[in-house]
Amino acid sequence: MKHFEIRYGAVGGQGIITAGALLVDIAVEREGKFAIESPTYTAAVRGGPTKVDVLIADEQIVFPHATAIDFFLCTDQRPYDIYRDSLKDDAIVIVDSHLVRELGDTRHWKVYPVPIINETKVGAGNVVLTSVVSLAITQKMTDVISYENMVEHIKHWAPKGTIEMNMKAIEVGMNLIK
Amino acid sequence: MSQRKVLQGNIIVAKAALAAGCDFFAGYPITPSSEIAQYMSKEMPKMERAFIQMEDEIASLGACIGASLAGKKTMTATSGPGFSLMQEHVGMAVMAEVPVVIVNVMRGGPSTGMPTKPAQADMMQARWGTHGDHPIIAVYPAFSEEIFSETVRAFNMAEKYWNPVILLLDEVLGKAHMDVEIPEPGSYEVYWEKTHQIVDLNIYDRKIGENPPRIDFFHGYPIHIDGLEHDAHGWPSFDAKTVDKMQKLRMQKIYQNLDDIIKYKEYFLDDAEVIVFSFGISARSALAAVKTAREQGIKAGLFQALTIWPFPRAALQEKFQKIKKVLTVEMNMGQMKYEVERIAPGDVEKQTLLRANGMPFSPDEVLNAIKEFVK
Repeated sequence: MKHFEIRYGAVGGQGIITAGALLVDIAVEREGKFAIESPTYTAAVRGGPTKVDVLIADEQIVFPHATAIDFFLCTDQRPYDIYRDSLKDDAIVIVDSHLVRELGDTRHWKVYPVPIINETKVGAGNVVLTSVVSLAITQKMTDVISYENMVEHIKHWAPKGTIEMNMKAIEVGMNLIK
Repeated sequence: MSQRKVLQGNIIVAKAALAAGCDFFAGYPITPSSEIAQYMSKEMPKMERAFIQMEDEIASLGACIGASLAGKKTMTATSGPGFSLMQEHVGMAVMAEVPVVIVNVMRGGPSTGMPTKPAQADMMQARWGTHGDHPIIAVYPAFSEEIFSETVRAFNMAEKYWNPVILLLDEVLGKAHMDVEIPEPGSYEVYWEKTHQIVDLNIYDRKIGENPPRIDFFHGYPIHIDGLEHDAHGWPSFDAKTVDKMQKLRMQKIYQNLDDIIKYKEYFLDDAEVIVFSFGISARSALAAVKTAREQGIKAGLFQALTIWPFPRAALQEKFQKIKKVLTVEMNMGQMKYEVERIAPGDVEKQTLLRANGMPFSPDEVLNAIKEFVK
């Protein structure tokens, strides 16, 4: 890996800013890489289309927004419509199969529609865990961070009494795409 | 485990302020700067330093000025709308020669504008936002380590020159979580002039170019600190000769120390045929563009201004002796380009890349502008 670009798209409140922050923390503090996370959101506290760009590289990142995206995960139609620019050919695209219905032209990407939000509610027990589920999907599909570092970091980061549910969320994320 | 940490730009500012000795913060939260106040409100009480959330931005800077006169190192943080409200007190701090650091994390404007979108449109407001002729210092970092070092430097210059120092950032730099290596205490200079006991009531009396001494407001003698033009004692005076001297005292403490105040970075300028002039987030787009241009054999270089005001005039003019094209890249409809145009000799071609729609320039957009310009 020399330079890897990830974009999360969602609506405000779905937890992607947390997912991005976790990913950057793991990449820098546990793996010694360079990384930056730039959120773009609206003035609405909840419900506005949001994106988070995460750039991870072996050297200092100059421009902090994504320009050639390797991995795009999106859990709502509106951010999918607005933010699916700058994707590379062969980019991996993960969409929530219930909430992103109109995919448009996807010929150049590898698209995986999966029920992220639903499985998070049912499998992990709480929709607030979408951030950790998304992180686990990212790990599995890209290897941009190691599985072990992700688990260690989440154990360290999770508030007391929530470690078990966070571990469950990782499991949900790892099993969503076979 | 790496030495480097991930911190939000705003948090780097807050940490650097505390490292520089900031022991009083008064502010009113506003996107995209709120995390600075949030962090200070958590950390300062633990360090027995004072944090106050004020009723608005006017009061915030007022409180900082008062605390500064009492010997504190003070800071407030805001964004465009709050910075507009602070302008009256910026003038007060200049006139009364009070050190204070004012952070403005720029967002789309005017008015409430676009709270969550970046802009670089308060460049001239930083210079001329308050009325009257006055000196001002403004700095604008772009990379994570610079955010730390320029914040510390802002405090040092405020203390040294007894003047407000404006620290500019933009929404991208304030909000992004980035890898950063926070330097060890002791590895950077922290300027701290001890409060002087007053021995002479003429507190403003000094030679032109000298810095005023830190005044201990609450001990010793009754002194007068005023926004009105004043004499060496601080009492109101409109005597033309006195006013002339006081104006020069305030101006020259800054303009006779430009070597200390002006800071910039240059990339690939040695053999460049075109200078990209930029700062903040746009300088990061420009640096990425210049690197790609070099790979494609285009001789472009970047002049990244860290000190915005006073404008790095001499340094840029020196470059213009050899390099005859300059492209100004900024997220506004044209502000610093006027400074560039003002100082560039007639034989230098000037071009701009301007935009104020909340979207930072991509490196490709800057690269295309460079290519178009050198064609």
